[in-house]
Amino acid sequence: MSNNDTRITTSQTIGPFSHEGWQWAVDACAAARLETSAPTLVVHGILYDGDGNPIDDAQIEAWLPEAAAAEGQQDIPGFRRTPTGKAGEFSLRLSVPEGRAAGAPVAYVTVFARGLTKHQFTAVFLEDDAALDQSAILAQVPAARRGTLVARKEDDGTYRWDIWMQTDKETVFFDYR
Amino acid sequence: MKFDEVAPGVWPDLIHPAYKSTVKRGPLQPALRIEAPVPVSRNIAPAPRILLPHDADLTRRGEQAPLGEKIVVTGRVVDEDGKPVRNSLIEVWQANSAGRYWHQRDNHDAPLDPNFFGFGKMMTDDDGRYRFVSIKPGPYPWKNHDKAWRPAHIHFSLFGNVYAQRLVTQMYFPNDPLFAYDPIFNSIPDEAARRSLVSRFSLEHTVGEEMLGYEFDIVLRGRGATPFGL
Repeated sequence: MSNNDTRITTSQTIGPFSHEGWQWAVDACAAARLETSAPTLVVHGILYDGDGNPIDDAQIEAWLPEAAAAEGQQDIPGFRRTPTGKAGEFSLRLSVPEGRAAGAPVAYVTVFARGLTKHQFTAVFLEDDAALDQSAILAQVPAARRGTLVARKEDDGTYRWDIWMQTDKETVFFDYR
Repeated sequence: MKFDEVAPGVWPDLIHPAYKSTVKRGPLQPALRIEAPVPVSRNIAPAPRILLPHDADLTRRGEQAPLGEKIVVTGRVVDEDGKPVRNSLIEVWQANSAGRYWHQRDNHDAPLDPNFFGFGKMMTDDDGRYRFVSIKPGPYPWKNHDKAWRPAHIHFSLFGNVYAQRLVTQMYFPNDPLFAYDPIFNSIPDEAARRSLVSRFSLEHTVGEEMLGYEFDIVLRGRGATPFGL
């Protein structure tokens, strides 16, 4: 390929063996040592395949652009990475600064997995966000599928958000233009 | 930046039955193209301290030199305008020379090398160039079908200059006889797109009698980068 060739480089699956190489960033954003000046909350859930089986060898990344300033002490401010666990579970402690843009997601989320030939972009919103109906992103999502992007508040104050790769619950994945 | 629609056949098929685990894991709905100013204009900014000594020399992570064919891999990361993607994080990971990953779930009956763990990271420079030293990985069986062997490859994870440029891919080596038989490589319908993942041997980057050079240039999506910070 010459330097004049601007055809994009295509994607390949992350495969099953990313964990050792990706661990440094998992450690860098671990909830137990998170330094943030903003209030935090937990979004957690399970990543499911088309048979409803948990995907236990995936990687989930979350990007919180509006929280980067509050996390200036972190190695990667406003970033999270976690492998899914044996039950497909993931948990993300997110900084949610006061006065963030109305209708913005609490995190932009990227999903990587063995068997997923290209990573998938999605985003997560909170059901009790008063500005949800002002979200420019959700407004572009067919109403019937918006719920797949909204985390539900649990009795313990955490938010539950499952990611479905397929089925009638399939999470909306984005291509940003 | 602007992100044009990707031409048909360039991305791998999300459902590619010959690669069995895609069947229940690939999304069935097409990705929804949306306007979202933040993902196409901003990105993570890792602190420089994340780079550790020898992160870009995978042969120097053990107490002794690892076994295998020492190589240097380099290339430029550019966007669709051909502009360099500067100061951008790249992660790499791979099997050792025997085709075995340093990973608890890899049960391939090939030896681990106590001096080779097979992962590293680096930043691109002001010209978008990256460079790392490693060992040529071996092919390995992966049980997808009878005699399923992966062509030798190095995994790449790129963060680009804006979030929407994120890419994970695999770099292959020239003339690998396994290309024709690999459902992961062939999940990409477009022949030129498949070829974009094959590095080329480079005498220019070969270092004396120490190691052979391979060149792998990468084009990330996106046009119209602003000069700001990029």
